[in-house]
Amino acid sequence: MRAVVFDGVVLGLQFGLLGVGLTLVYGLGGVLNLAQGQFAVLGAIVVALRIDAGSAVVPAVLTGLVVAGSVGLALDLTLMRPVYRRTGEDRVLLGLLLMLGVAFIIDGVLVWRYPIEALTLRIGGEPVDVLGVRMRTGSLLASAIALGVGAILVLFLRYAATGKAVRSVIQDEEGAQLCGVSPEKVRAFVFALSGVLAALVAVTRSMTSPVTVNAGIDFTILALIVAVVGGLGSVSGAFLAGILLGIVNTVSAHYIGTYVTTIVLLGAAAITIVLRPSGLLGAGRE
Amino acid sequence: MIRRAATVGRVGTPAVRAYAPVVVACGLVALLPLRYGDSRPMMGVVIGGVLFACYAVGFNVIFGSTGQLFLCTGALAGLGGYASAILSDRHGLPLMLAMLLATLVAATAGGLLSWIAVSRSLGVIFTGIVTLAFALAFQNLLLGQRDLTGGETGLVVEAGSDTLLGEQVAPFYVFVALLAGYLALFRALQRSHIGWAFRALRDDEIAAELAGVDVKRYRVLAGTLGSGMIGLAGALYAHSEGFISPSTFSFGEVDVLVIVMLAFGGIGSLLGPVVGAAAFTVLEEWMDSFNEYRLIIYGSVILVLFLVLPRGVVPTVQGLVERLRRRAGRPAAPVAPSPVDTLNPG
Repeated sequence: MRAVVFDGVVLGLQFGLLGVGLTLVYGLGGVLNLAQGQFAVLGAIVVALRIDAGSAVVPAVLTGLVVAGSVGLALDLTLMRPVYRRTGEDRVLLGLLLMLGVAFIIDGVLVWRYPIEALTLRIGGEPVDVLGVRMRTGSLLASAIALGVGAILVLFLRYAATGKAVRSVIQDEEGAQLCGVSPEKVRAFVFALSGVLAALVAVTRSMTSPVTVNAGIDFTILALIVAVVGGLGSVSGAFLAGILLGIVNTVSAHYIGTYVTTIVLLGAAAITIVLRPSGLLGAGRE
Repeated sequence: MIRRAATVGRVGTPAVRAYAPVVVACGLVALLPLRYGDSRPMMGVVIGGVLFACYAVGFNVIFGSTGQLFLCTGALAGLGGYASAILSDRHGLPLMLAMLLATLVAATAGGLLSWIAVSRSLGVIFTGIVTLAFALAFQNLLLGQRDLTGGETGLVVEAGSDTLLGEQVAPFYVFVALLAGYLALFRALQRSHIGWAFRALRDDEIAAELAGVDVKRYRVLAGTLGSGMIGLAGALYAHSEGFISPSTFSFGEVDVLVIVMLAFGGIGSLLGPVVGAAAFTVLEEWMDSFNEYRLIIYGSVILVLFLVLPRGVVPTVQGLVERLRRRAGRPAAPVAPSPVDTLNPG
């Protein structure tokens, strides 16, 4: 039982990291990034290609993160401009549809050029004993990265000047503007950040199981569910939701069977939303 | 939506003018077999187009009229399709009865989802996620319940193959009739007190509530009705196609396309679903020859279309016609009615 829960936490930390990028972008600009999963896969494929070309793992991973982040930044500076000029439901709908188009294009390019590419990072070393459970080094490293990045994000948002600017725009765009914060710059920064985070999830995920070229849609749906269950706009909520859903996932996979698991997972997500429409740690506004 | 008092210089009574677009659109669609009637694959494509127009009208009732983002069009259609197939093939129910029950099943499921969303006052995104969760769970259920649904391999549907649904061209006319019925229903809703309530609650929910519109009731009504329409279309497709599988009704195959079609045609407009379904059916067919770049072209088209026409084709054309008419009409008073005038919602 303990081993199953641990596996759930490992998975959940990655779910959380995936949800964070989506949640921040939505909280800031009202854009539901339906291409989040495609950013992740894009990053993974770049890493895989660099490694194939003989590059060492760490520089390859950094290249992948930079590429995914740059694509995010470029999208924010070009395609998202007309979206930000709109307000309310119009903005949400146009943002969602345009990002859907982007998702199709990234998927299309990757599947066309690299139909069989996949990223698998093998982390060597003996399994390590954690509280009486033998854990694979890959899982531990993936969790450590996810935890580390999550902690840095929370601290960054709480204490760093840019982090405070991000939170101020999430809370009140006009107020932030009056205090000299530029919502455009903050949004561009966060869009790039969400690209980097997505690619990072793909990298940590590939330490335990291969990330294939068509995994984008699954990543996106997971990110959506995690972000909404956690409360759109809440970073710690996304991690909490990620861990809870991760545990639900592995526990039911272990005791009930895989096909029911997805239904249990989705049911858990739906029930959370119905019971707490603003999410676990949401601010109560949409 | 503006209701003009002055109707000088227009043809026909208001009722005739209100339903004319439905007749014209479905009449034009009904001409398609003249060109493609002798090709079985092309008839399949055309029937698929009309099927998606039907889905889009149902989705338009739910999303376009009352702003509930249902991301389970495919699942509702699948509920109808599988229910009707299983009831008729396995339990020996007559075709009509099976399809009726299947419609009721889909309507109940949609009504329930709508009721949950409304009574917990979930916003657009949250309604979207809850219905998406339902759609994905349904998909998994189809895959898991092998004995009942045939799992991934799908289900051969026997019932209906000995009726006119088993022929090459006849099912097309059945679908066109269904589309005409749906469009007429949509127009009738727009013209009734229900349509006024829909418009009021879409424009300003709180104001509508204050004015005495029972917002919850109308939302659930739209959710139930639209889901029933989607379910019936799915059931009819199951019997005319003779084969269904989870991917026939998957989120990626149905919902994405329906939303894009409706957004392209014009959300909330009468003919938006037809225009959108026509455009994207042509696009899909044309892209078949570029299989490798299919997704890339598809994505680029979506980007360009929504950047240029964010409101959708039908409302944009209406706006243009309106402006032209006002410019032409002001000096010379109301003279001749514009032929496109019939597109105006009553």
